[in-house]
Amino acid sequence: MNARWLAVLAFLLLNASTRSAVPGEGKLDKTEVREERPALSFVAQLGSKIFFDTSLSSSGRQSCASCHSPSDAYGPPNGDAVQSGGPDMQRSGVRAVPSLRYLEHNPTFSIGPTGTIPDNDAPAGAPLLPLNARSILAIAKSAAGPPAESNVPQGGLTWDGRADSLQDQALGPFLDPNEMANRSSAELFAKLQRTAYAEDFKQIFGPDIFRQPELAVSEALFALARFQMEDPSFHPYNSKYDYYLAGKVSLSDREMRGLKLFEDPKKGNCSSCHIDSISRDGIFRPAFTDYQFVALGVPRNPGIPANRDPHYFDLGLCGPYRKDSNIAAYCGMFKTPTLRNTATRRAFFHNGVIHSLEDVLRFYVERETKPEKWYPQRRDGTLNKYDDLPEANRANVDVIDAPFDRKRGDAPALNDSEIQDVIAFLKTLNDGYRLPR
Amino acid sequence: MERSRLILVVSVIAIAITVAVVIVAAQNAPATATPIKHVVVVFGENVSFDHYFGSYPNAANLQGQPRFTALPGTPAVNGLSGALMTNNPNFKNTANGTGAANPFRLDRTQALTADQNHGYGAEQLAFNKGAMDLFPKYTGRGSALGGTGPFYTTGLVMGYYDGNTVTALWNYAQHFALNDNSFGTNFGPSTPGAINLVSGQTNGAVRSTGTTATDASLVADGAGGLTMIGDPDPTDDACSSTRGATATMAGKNIGDLLSARNITWGWFQGGFDLTVTNANGTTGCARSSYSPIVGSYKSDYVPHHQPFQYYRSTANPKHVRPKSVASIGTRDDGGANHQYDVNDFYAAVSAGNFPAVSFLKATAIQNGHPGNSDPLDEQTFIATVLNFLQKSSEWKTTAVILAYDDSDGWYDHVSRIVNPSSASADGLNSAGVCGTGTPLPGVKGMPVNGRCGYGPRLPLLVVSPYARANFVDHTLTDQTSIMRFIEDNWLGSQRIGGGSFDEIAGTINNMFDFTKARNDTLLLDPNTGLPQK
Repeated sequence: MNARWLAVLAFLLLNASTRSAVPGEGKLDKTEVREERPALSFVAQLGSKIFFDTSLSSSGRQSCASCHSPSDAYGPPNGDAVQSGGPDMQRSGVRAVPSLRYLEHNPTFSIGPTGTIPDNDAPAGAPLLPLNARSILAIAKSAAGPPAESNVPQGGLTWDGRADSLQDQALGPFLDPNEMANRSSAELFAKLQRTAYAEDFKQIFGPDIFRQPELAVSEALFALARFQMEDPSFHPYNSKYDYYLAGKVSLSDREMRGLKLFEDPKKGNCSSCHIDSISRDGIFRPAFTDYQFVALGVPRNPGIPANRDPHYFDLGLCGPYRKDSNIAAYCGMFKTPTLRNTATRRAFFHNGVIHSLEDVLRFYVERETKPEKWYPQRRDGTLNKYDDLPEANRANVDVIDAPFDRKRGDAPALNDSEIQDVIAFLKTLNDGYRLPR
Repeated sequence: MERSRLILVVSVIAIAITVAVVIVAAQNAPATATPIKHVVVVFGENVSFDHYFGSYPNAANLQGQPRFTALPGTPAVNGLSGALMTNNPNFKNTANGTGAANPFRLDRTQALTADQNHGYGAEQLAFNKGAMDLFPKYTGRGSALGGTGPFYTTGLVMGYYDGNTVTALWNYAQHFALNDNSFGTNFGPSTPGAINLVSGQTNGAVRSTGTTATDASLVADGAGGLTMIGDPDPTDDACSSTRGATATMAGKNIGDLLSARNITWGWFQGGFDLTVTNANGTTGCARSSYSPIVGSYKSDYVPHHQPFQYYRSTANPKHVRPKSVASIGTRDDGGANHQYDVNDFYAAVSAGNFPAVSFLKATAIQNGHPGNSDPLDEQTFIATVLNFLQKSSEWKTTAVILAYDDSDGWYDHVSRIVNPSSASADGLNSAGVCGTGTPLPGVKGMPVNGRCGYGPRLPLLVVSPYARANFVDHTLTDQTSIMRFIEDNWLGSQRIGGGSFDEIAGTINNMFDFTKARNDTLLLDPNTGLPQK
């Protein structure tokens, strides 16, 4: 029995001894890997039908599942940096497709310490909040605490956190001209009415549902979100690492070395953002993200058509797709993704510029020590470091935390062999592990 | 459980049983006007009558959900039917914009919703001179406006749950008594509702020093004082906001009256015990709990839901713990001053020390408030409390009243104004006008503004061996009807008086038949709300 499992066990025992006096309130062992498949609610079943329906796209050839492929951990089905779509399937997206897995505990977007004030009773007589009241600017101004470190942006969905919930997110691809390309939610509504499952809508949401377009679209998006929340394929937690946390299997020597490097604050320091431990109360298994935003200075990807314009920059939190902030301090920041199933991906980071896990790790440890390998030279021969950001925003790139806390010419935080160790560990985060019989 | 701990628990129980016999006799000693010796008020959060009972007793019974089928002879409620359902004024009024909607069923999977606007003024504007047709415009809030859960249109405000979601409450209504003509005493959010529950008088608010004069939670009463219409935290409560407005209340509350007669009572609220450490490591005022439905941790204790903390005579600002389980509810409780944690309620009743009057407020995650709670987590709390009490030896003399602090701004189709106001925040009839006539007096005996009511209609249920079965009461009642029952039962019909709504409150006695006690109980599964097998 290894130390980690002992810690888990100790935690469970501790919980048992502090059990609440409230009648009927027990504690479940959340570390167990679930094998059974719960039945989906009627609404989630409807969501599943919508998820796989190509008739909701203007091309008639694209569904949610086209880019969020179920057999690829709901990530892209290929190694392309961005996916094609639009009315004729000839248009290119602007960012790599994120996985839809492990978003069930994703918090809504916020800046600074998360407010735990549970009650948001409206102040008496206050007018409705305008939409921009949740803009970054407004949030930043109202955020408590010291301005700098505690004001880390976090949460929300998509690379820039602009969608607050799975339901909110679901509308984006339907209307994006590069994706399913409906011109309006009215057009989507018209398509929904013609689907084979239109009767399901009436049964679930009432016979009058199609008399109220706004409501019908909202319900369709809700059904999509509910499918993702309920169907365990979106959060199976059945990787080797999960079985390891449950004490059912041990890691190989190489995987264990990789885990230690992953956690070591002076080496990979990966777990400082890609959280790898169970929450203290046992409710949250590790999501391998802290849901926060960071500027990594990933090299520009000339393969993205939008990048042909030298004045175009994808600045993440400060636009151009997120439109509620131009605070310079947040330009270039993108949301930290889960590392579960990352070893199955073939396009990494928001712009998909890197195509292998090995290169991802090399980029992390060599960005500062050997930048010439990652960034092009300007005409005058100087290095155009952080070339996917405007000069003015390059100071936002994280150079404080390991493995970025080095100078040009220093030894990288991980050597070749250590990189292979970390990769071996990352592969234990792939879902679908089968216990040896 | 470790051995030493076990021994301790066993000894505590032994002592408790010894003490209990004596206490129970003392509890039941005070003369009561009815056979009821114990009233438990479960004070939930943020539900309008139509939001929970609009389609009662008809449930959609979608596949895979807890089913609800009405018993034969179930009486009708004043709910949503006919044109109200299919051609509602809120659907027809174009001022509601894209939020214009008919009432629609919220599915059990949609238990978590955004919080609606339940400001004192906003609710009046939604009532629109009594036409009840501007809810999406004035109180509707979709998730894009900062809420959580499904829906991105202000038409969400028209959503209602049925017996597949609020299954326990519908089942209690089937077997006990429901009132469909009960109202929030005033318009507005939680704190005025809580204050009305215990005093019927929201006038006499005192601003804490340092609070800005622009704070909208208190409004000038037109007689030189202030009336509470919002949610300022109680001044001096150790857990109150250090940034927002805080306030105290002048005047008397029901706790003062009970204490004067030596009747045992307590307010039991989730998170009040600051010495506990939760499973997630949080403690003190920061204690928090998680619900998978809400999807995040929420602070257990909400200071502005604790009305007795606003009155110097009944406050326990530092959350002092009762000196013993046996002292809970008594005036000699070691400085807790009748203010306890909800866990103290279970401990006291289990030890045979069941106070005469108990007010229960769940931890935030289970209080039913949209955004931080939901009907399913609320159901868990209510069913847990009612199962617990129905198994108690004292059940035969107990009445549980399920009531709510405010409507959250959810649509309801009935309005009943009995007390006018012309404060700056009013707007029911026109800017600064709500109702007509002379308002009830405030704490100084002069007519005061800021107490326009009754406000929105709220659910009210009585579960008791003396409750009528499958009964719908249409008697006009409000939040202070509960206080009136307590006053009638234990205090010889003494009133708070001085302009308190208790003087004009309708009776809840019609929900009871005190001539005979029933032997049946209704134990419900706290997860599904279905009868336990």
